[in-house]
Amino acid sequence: MNPLCLMENVKKTFRIGEDLSVEVLKGIDLKVDEGEFIAIMGTSGSGKSTLMNLIGCLDVPTSGRYLLAGREVLGLLDDDLSELRNTHIGFVFQSFYLLPYATVLENVLLPTLYREKTAGHVERRAAEILKLVGLEKRMNFRPNRLSGGEQQRVALCRALMNDPEIILADEPTGQLDSKTASEIMNLLSDLNKKGKTVIVVTHDATIASYAGRVIHIKDGIIIDE
Amino acid sequence: MERIILNLKIALGALGNHRLRTVLAVLGVFFGTLSLVIVGNLSDSLSLKTEQEVDSLGKNLVIVFSGQLRRHGPRFPLATRATNLTLDDATAILYAFPHAKEVSPSGMKAFPVRYQNTVLKAVAVNGVAPNFAEVRNFEIASGSPITEDDEKNQRKVAVLGPTTAEKLFGDENPVGKTILIRRVPVQVIGVTVAKGSDISGADQDNQIFVPLKTFLRNFTNKEYVNSIYVQAAGDSVIPSLQKEIVALLRIRHKIRDGMKDDFTVVDLKDVNTLKSDAMGMITILGRTAAAASFLIGALGILSIMILIVNERRMEIGIRRAVGSRKKDIILQFLLESSFISVTGGLIGILIGMMASLVIARVLSYPATISVPGLITAFGASALSGVIAGIYPSFKAIQVNPVDIIRS
Repeated sequence: MNPLCLMENVKKTFRIGEDLSVEVLKGIDLKVDEGEFIAIMGTSGSGKSTLMNLIGCLDVPTSGRYLLAGREVLGLLDDDLSELRNTHIGFVFQSFYLLPYATVLENVLLPTLYREKTAGHVERRAAEILKLVGLEKRMNFRPNRLSGGEQQRVALCRALMNDPEIILADEPTGQLDSKTASEIMNLLSDLNKKGKTVIVVTHDATIASYAGRVIHIKDGIIIDE
Repeated sequence: MERIILNLKIALGALGNHRLRTVLAVLGVFFGTLSLVIVGNLSDSLSLKTEQEVDSLGKNLVIVFSGQLRRHGPRFPLATRATNLTLDDATAILYAFPHAKEVSPSGMKAFPVRYQNTVLKAVAVNGVAPNFAEVRNFEIASGSPITEDDEKNQRKVAVLGPTTAEKLFGDENPVGKTILIRRVPVQVIGVTVAKGSDISGADQDNQIFVPLKTFLRNFTNKEYVNSIYVQAAGDSVIPSLQKEIVALLRIRHKIRDGMKDDFTVVDLKDVNTLKSDAMGMITILGRTAAAASFLIGALGILSIMILIVNERRMEIGIRRAVGSRKKDIILQFLLESSFISVTGGLIGILIGMMASLVIARVLSYPATISVPGLITAFGASALSGVIAGIYPSFKAIQVNPVDIIRS
């Protein structure tokens, strides 16, 4: 079986000013199979956020090879990257990033706006997903009326809306207390057991312990698996 | 469609934080469409009204008035009087110019009129030639018109305007009855069809017509008339005919070079032109006001959209992360800005239609809805929104989702 993500000697260099550039990723080799639960660990500045952006197709490598679901990402147009993100990746962020002026339901429906083919009753599907995380009664609330844990569950629903293969979570529990954090991590574990590939970026070992495989990154290279 | 509605719902949520600014932006577009719609409808009403007036007065008419007319002002009061416009002048015009198809001299003076106990103190009594009804486009509602025979035999007969007939007779049928005009008994032989007011604003239904000869001999005891209606053979000959009549009458009235005419030749087209010139000015003013309003509206939308795009950088980043393409973002913000402007536009069109109906009624103009005016107004409102949205939407796609997520 082909791996879901395959990175070979991926490098990422950022230009700072005219002739100064910083190499943030110095040759990453990474293989993620479908159904894995991976934690990427590293201190701030280690390059783990940049790696996450590359995996999530928010950015493209400077050199190397990156295959996502069998497609070469390097050299793709902006529109194609958008389509890849829309269909294969579900993002969960530390600060939730819900639209404050939209309802919970509208937030969850956001990814469906950019699908070529939406499976008929998107609202019914959104309601089902919200029920899965116990928020079916809060559908018409604004996010500011929800607790942090509830907001992150809404964000998780948004990530699941287009049924992507990969859930990419960047410090998903960074703003939550430990009890709520474990609730969110249990949800991610459940999703993983149902077949989703989960990649969590974190600096917290407790969070990483939920993962089946932990990748340590330091100074732009993977130091330990 | 569902997507558009969802996007608009989200946008309305975001605009909710800037109600005052949004209302101001909407107002600009509202006033723009309002003035476009009103100007469009009213100028249509006015040209329809003028057309109706000209037709009601008679086709291809050149009118010779005795004395100098004041050309400015709503009516045509005499500035100077003259007593030398005669039936011979009328005959001369008819014989001198082949383009003069018909001439119809007429005299006019106000007299007291009485029927039994009803007395009207001053009714305009017109002495008219038998061809008058045809030239001036009067129709007989009941009874019969003034004939050649009536004129030749100087009969004391009269045709009444419907308003005069109503005032004198009420529901009674006036035909066959005898009225007193300045104590002279006159038999009513007909009533004209109602025509409303003429182009100078005078009521054409409150007057009495008698044969010209009867008028001159029995009522005024003078030899001159007040006006000669000349019907031209066609629309195109009117200007030259007008000049020829002036030249002929100057000779006949022995007016030396350098002296003023003692008569006035009016082409109804002149009056039309004056009116449409005035309307042209109003139209230009209205359009200028509309353009200024649209500009203000568009600037208002531009400013609120820039503000909103800055405020919604997180939203844009998230939308990009969940898979929106740049063109989706552009379309989204263009949709939002045109939504704001079209809202103002639709309100403006609605209120503009009502306002122009009210204005038309107040001015007693025929109420018309100018469809091209409506389309222009709607198009202009939509366009100002789209144009105002271009810069903000290009600002929006410069948002890089990576920058948003990192912060």
